[in-house]
This record gives sequence, structure tokens and C-alpha cells, in this order.
Amino acid sequence: MAHKPLLDCVFVPIASAEDARATARAVTPYLRDRDATVVVGHVIEKAGGAPDKASVEQRERLAEDLFDVVDDEFASENVSHECHVLYGTDVAETIIDAADDFDADAIVFTPRGGSRWLRLLTGDVSLSLVTQSDRPVVVLPDVEEADTDG
Amino acid sequence: MADQQQELARDLGFLEAYTIGLGTMIGAGIFVLPSIAADAAGPASMISFLIGGVVSLLAALSLSELATGMPKAGGSYYYVNRALGGFFGSIVGWGMWGGLMFASAFYMLGFGQYLTYFVPMGATGVAIAALVMAVLLVAVNYYGVKETGALQNVIVIALVGLIIVFIAFGVLNVDMSTLRPFNPEGWGAVAATAGTVYVSFIGFEVIATSAEEIKNPSRNLPLSMIAAVVTPTLLYVLVMFVSTGSLSIDLLAESSIPVADVAEEFLGSVGALAMVVGAVLATVSSANASILSAARVNFAMGRDNILTNWLNEVHNRFRTPYRAILATGVIILVLIASPVPIGTLAEVASFSYLVTYSLVHVSVMVMRRADPEDYDPAFQIPDVLYPVVPAVGFVASLAILAQMNTVVTLVGITIVGVGVVWYLGYARNQNIKEGLVGEAIAPEPTRATTNGGGEGYRVVVPLANPKTERDLLRFAAASAHAHEDGDAELVAVNVIEVPRQTSLEQDVAFEEERVSRQQELLDQARDIAAELDVGLRTRAIVSHDAGDAILDVVEDEDADHVVLGWRGSRTTREHVLGSTLDPVVDRSFCEASLINLASETELDRIGDVVALVGEGPNAPVTVKRAAEFVAIEDDATLTLLNIQTPDDDADASAEERGHDLVERVAADVSLDVDYDTEVVVGDDVEATALEAVDAYDTVCVGATREGAVSQTLFGSLPETLGERASGTVVMAQGASRSPQSIREAFIKRLSR
Repeated sequence: MAHKPLLDCVFVPIASAEDARATARAVTPYLRDRDATVVVGHVIEKAGGAPDKASVEQRERLAEDLFDVVDDEFASENVSHECHVLYGTDVAETIIDAADDFDADAIVFTPRGGSRWLRLLTGDVSLSLVTQSDRPVVVLPDVEEADTDG
Repeated sequence: MADQQQELARDLGFLEAYTIGLGTMIGAGIFVLPSIAADAAGPASMISFLIGGVVSLLAALSLSELATGMPKAGGSYYYVNRALGGFFGSIVGWGMWGGLMFASAFYMLGFGQYLTYFVPMGATGVAIAALVMAVLLVAVNYYGVKETGALQNVIVIALVGLIIVFIAFGVLNVDMSTLRPFNPEGWGAVAATAGTVYVSFIGFEVIATSAEEIKNPSRNLPLSMIAAVVTPTLLYVLVMFVSTGSLSIDLLAESSIPVADVAEEFLGSVGALAMVVGAVLATVSSANASILSAARVNFAMGRDNILTNWLNEVHNRFRTPYRAILATGVIILVLIASPVPIGTLAEVASFSYLVTYSLVHVSVMVMRRADPEDYDPAFQIPDVLYPVVPAVGFVASLAILAQMNTVVTLVGITIVGVGVVWYLGYARNQNIKEGLVGEAIAPEPTRATTNGGGEGYRVVVPLANPKTERDLLRFAAASAHAHEDGDAELVAVNVIEVPRQTSLEQDVAFEEERVSRQQELLDQARDIAAELDVGLRTRAIVSHDAGDAILDVVEDEDADHVVLGWRGSRTTREHVLGSTLDPVVDRSFCEASLINLASETELDRIGDVVALVGEGPNAPVTVKRAAEFVAIEDDATLTLLNIQTPDDDADASAEERGHDLVERVAADVSLDVDYDTEVVVGDDVEATALEAVDAYDTVCVGATREGAVSQTLFGSLPETLGERASGTVVMAQGASRSPQSIREAFIKRLSR
């Protein structure tokens, strides 16, 4: 009997340049040279009525930069992928919905560190993903590379 | 999904935009200024607030036109920079930034003053409280602590409620004798006081700076701005009426918590406490919004290279423009700690904004006269009010500026000076003006063409792929031929898209190859048009965003129909149909057809055409398209196909219902070509449709929904057809939108 796939189509949320690089490196060994669909998403958080912390356009540019990082990382490793900007008032919920829309087998990410305090203030997306997702969530360790260039 | 995203990107409706404006407007101004205003102009200071409101209303009209024409972050700064160039751009950018800093410091000191209700403290205590709160606000925005729209609404509703209660009870308590003498200081003082209190009106600008996030901006933007000016103006005037009618000018002038002291008169200590709470909420929410607005001005200045983009880096973790927020915050703290009196802080902020708005009025007139290609504001100042509004607004702003006191004028002019010096010393060497400058129109008509927005039927065809170019043009030509009575013509567009990081000119210089490829593509289009015997103009465009550029062309040409190629697959990143198609189909107001060509090899003919006729709003346009295609070929046939699900309860049989529907739609569009009607009954609409259309060369189907082509890709009929049908699939969308989408109709039908 065929296995239910886990990594044939994955949704990979990225939050920052550092995160994009770390995540891309962490997932590469699992997806390299496979016929897997990799959907990379960056969520632009909206305040839903209150003024946003930063202009949407400003963050759309940031998203483009992040996608460039991912493109670079994946280009050399032969991982085919697509990148999408997502908008939502709740980051975790938006990621989960997007994974559903793209019919992903799993959500794959590397956790970002940070103190309890910061998580409390800024919201703990990792925890929400793990607890709220209706599909498998694969948390990959952040493989620290010595040659990170910033 | 992608469509949903776009809607979320624009998540502010009228009410949200209005409350954001109100939240910033109903700030420290009305809670702190009554004492200063009453001292300066007596009861007549209510007229000062009225003048401030009228001047703001004029600015709101001009800003609305500019903001809907250029919905970009940065507000007034962006419009002035675009219209008047970097010199004035730098003045306004620094002016707004400075104005927001002074205003924030003013709000924070007002906050401190109101705390004296609880803790008696002197000027130092007030300043310390102000500093602590300012640090807290900077931290909130630095760390990106989540604020929600719900909280914002609660604050605004609470504030408006409090003020209305204050006014309602206060009016009954007004003693007409206290209002006399009404105008002890003369009209000059009233005008000068209008300058002082103008800071209470700068909040509506925040709506313009959020233009990119407002839904249906042509309507919601001007409406919310006007409402956000009119509401507070009425409230302010009435608050002044109540204040000056309840307390003597002397008592009022001495109070540092005027509104609470007035409320104490007729609502007792409970009323006073409520007003203190209101003042605290108002000052904090105003300062918060101002700090965020300042960061957007910084971002917009960085985008035009007037400021270094170093300042605009978004924080890795918090995703906030932390450096801009810190820079603004530090200066706010310095201003609070400085010995500048609270009234002067307010006046300097007013000064900066009056300078800004006077230039905004000039910008409206400049933009109208210059009328650049890509400027087509959805909202325009009505003809009867133009150029009265900007002219009067400009003069009125200057008149108030002229009345302001020397110290304020000097500080204000210093801020202007900073902008000038900055421009000459830094920005001039950096500033690369942005815009659709790379546009190199090649107006080489092959046949009768009218330039500009003539009456002819105009079909815009964005071209990208030389292999599918001919087929797209063939379909477009069919549509044009059907409107031969007017001067029908095609407008072929190709957009070279360059990354945002580079300026348009720069990139064009480096991309000779892409430019020559563009020329080839368009030359070929001209040849094909000559063969197809249809008039064609070409437009070669360089832009940061192909979607935007095409939309601009569609609007500029006053197009009747836009024909787009569609790959029918999910290959592009960002958006499902490709970042170009989504905005064009979502936002263009003319008819749109998406054509998914069966293969890249050229078609000989459009061939036998089938149009899927359903109950959706796009059925008529679908039939119209199909008829157009059939009309240009001699041996082509047209079939109108309707799919019914079996329904035993219905009065008529499924076939009858289908035939009725087809006839109705055909009559609707007064179809004048021969056609066959085919009704197929099946439980699975998609499968039935796929099977039924297999025999045809071209399938026309209505788009599922206004603004939602992308959504169709997640499991709706046109998508399935686009991906799996063997023939060419044309997805048609009408110009007029209907609230119910075909997709919704389908869901409804399927769930029965």
C-alpha cells in the first residue's frame, strides 16, 4: 500500500531574511532532486482596522527580498518552488489557511528563537502553528552554517 | 485565495478609514487647546476651530484627488514630490516629519497635564509622565505589539461618545452672559488662533497615507476624509461653545485640564473623571498614529531616494521600521524635555502642516495641467469647485500662516530650511525621479486611428509571448471587427518589468536586449494587425509592475475590452494567475477576456465555438464574445450550451429549463447570428461540462466572479476548463459587476 505522502507538497512559511536562509537550508536535504512541490509564503500581518506598523508596500518589498534569498538558496540545490505573498490579521491562521489552499501535505518551518517576553508581546507563531494546524507540521532544526553572510 | 489576499491587503472600508481618521483627529487638540484658544481669542475661538475645519475640508478634497490618483504610502509628501519635484518634496517630507514629531510631543505633554487630575504635579512631573508614555509608545511600535482594529474602534467610539455627552449636557448649562464679550481680541486673534488649533486637524492626513489599503478608494477615500474632517469640526466648535459658555475666560485660560474642569461644572466629579480618561485615550492614540505616520513618510522619502533607505530597514523579527520609529521617538523625547511651551509645540506642528497643505493645493493644479499618462484619479474635485477649492485652500493656508507669531514662524521656517538644505546638500545628488518615464510610445498607426480617448471601440491586448501573439490578436481583432461602425482599433502593449530597487531609466539603459526584443514583438504585432485588417497602435512601457502599467493603459485609452493571454497553470510565483493578470482583471472596469490557448502552435482558425450559458452575471458577455469570434470566420458554428443538474421536483424538465435560459440570454444580447442550443444534464457539472465541450475548438465561459479570477483556480469550472479542456478556452468578464458571482451561484446550485 502506498504511503500517504508527507513531503510531496509542502508549505514553507518564512518570516525574515535570516529565517528564509535558515529554512531554505534546513529543508533542502529533504526536498533536493525530488518531484516535490514547495510553496514558500510570507505573511504580511494586517491590523484589520488599526493602522499597520509599517506600510504594506514597504513590507511587500521586504517579501520580495526574502523570496530572492529563497530563490538563491534553492537555485543551487535544484529545489523547484514557488513564492507567494499572503496577507492576514493572524499570521498562524493565514499560514494554515494557505497550506489548505495549496493542498499541502505539511507545513514545514524552522523555529525562531526569542525570549518568552518577546513571544508574549509579538505572538508566538510557532506555538500557534503546532497547536492549531489541521495538517502535519514538520519543525526542522535550524542548521547553523558558518558561512552565513549576514 | 490570491483574491482573498488582495482584499486583505486592502482591508479598510469606509468605516475603518473613518475611525482611523477620527482616532488621530480627536486627539489632544480638543482636550488641551480650549484653554490656550480661549485665552487668545475668547469665545470667538470657536470660530477659529471652524476656520480650521473649513481649511482642512479644502485640503481633504485636494488630497482625495491626489490620493486616488497616486495611492501610494507617504501621503502629501508623495504627491508634492511627484507633482513639484524633489525640492518641494524635501520641504514637505521634512515638514511632515517635523510636524508629526512636534504634534506627538504636544500630545504627550497634554497627556501628562491630564494626569495631574490624579497626581498633583508641576511642570517637571508633567514632562516626566510625558516622557515615560512616549518611551512606552515607541516601544510598542518598535516591538510591533499587536494592536487590533477592534481596540481602535472601542477607543474612537468611547471618545466620540464622551464628547457627545459632554456637549449634550454642557449646552443646557451654557450661560449666555459668560459668552460675552464674544470677540474680545478682534478677528486677527481669531485667525491667529486658527493657526494654533490647526494641529487638531492634521489627523485626517493619516487616511491619505493609508490610501493603498483602502477598499474602493474612489468612493471611500474622499468620503472618509470629508467625514473625518466634518465630524470633529462640529464637535470642536460645540466643545468650545460649551467651554467658553460654562467657565469664564480667566478660569478656562488657567486650567491645564480644561475639558475636565468644564465637565466638573455640570457633570460633577464623575464627568470630570470621564473626560480625563477620554483625554488620556485621545492623546495616546493620536501620538501612536503620528509615530506610525512619520515612519511612512520616512519610507516614502527613502523610496524616492530623498532619505537614506538605511532608516527604513524593517526589523528582522518584529517587521517594524524600527530605525525610523527610534529616530522619530528620540526627537519627540528631546522636544518634550525641551523648555518649549506646549502651545508652541502645537503651533509649530500646525505651521508645518499648513505649509504642506498649501503645496498640496498647488500640486492638484499642477497634476491637472500636466495630466501625466499614469495619473487618472478615481475621485476628482467636482467641476463647479475647481479650481476654487485648491485656489482658496492655498490662499487660506497662507493667510493663517501669516497670522502666526514670530517664534513659531521662525521655528517653522527653520524646518522648511532643513528641507531646503537637505535637498541641496544631499537629495539633489540622489534623487532619481520615479514614474512611468521609460514609456516610449510608438504611435505608428497602421490604419485610421484617433489619438487619445476618442469614441472608437478600443481593445487593449497586452503581449508578452511571440508564439501566442498572433492568436491573441486574432481574438482581439474579432472583438474589434464586431464594432466596426465606430473606429475600432487594437492597442498592443508590452511591458518590460524591472525590479523596484532599480530606477526605471537605469534599468532601461542596461537592458538594451530586452528593449529590442520588445520592439520586435510590437513590430510583429503591427504586421499581424495589417494581415487581419484591423487598426493597431503599440505602446512600449517600462514599469516596476506590469499589472499596474497595463491597468494604466486600459484607463488611459479608455478601453472597452482587454484581452489577456493566460497560461492556465500555476507556474508564476506570488499570484496564481501571475502577478500581472490578477490586478488587471480584478481592477479594470472594462470587459476582460482571458484566453488560454490550447497550445503554442498557431491556430488556423477560431473554429467551432461553444459558449457555456449559465445564470451568472457574465453569461451575456460570454455569448457576445462567442458571437464575435464566429462572425469573422465563414465556416464557424456557434453553440450555446447549458448544463443542468437533474431536479425531479421542478415543474419543467431539465431540458426545458436549459432551453429557456439559453433563449433568455440570447435575447438579452440580441444575438443576430445563427446558433444551436445544447442542453446537457448531469450530476457532476464539471465533468459534464468537460465532456460536452470536447468537440469544440473554442470554449467561452464566464469568469466566476468579479475580481476573483484567481479564486477560480481553486476548483471552479472555468479553471478546470482552462487546465483540462483540449480546445482554446476564453474566460469572459463583463464590464458591469454583479454582487453574486457565478462561483457563488455554482456553490449554491451544487449544495442543493
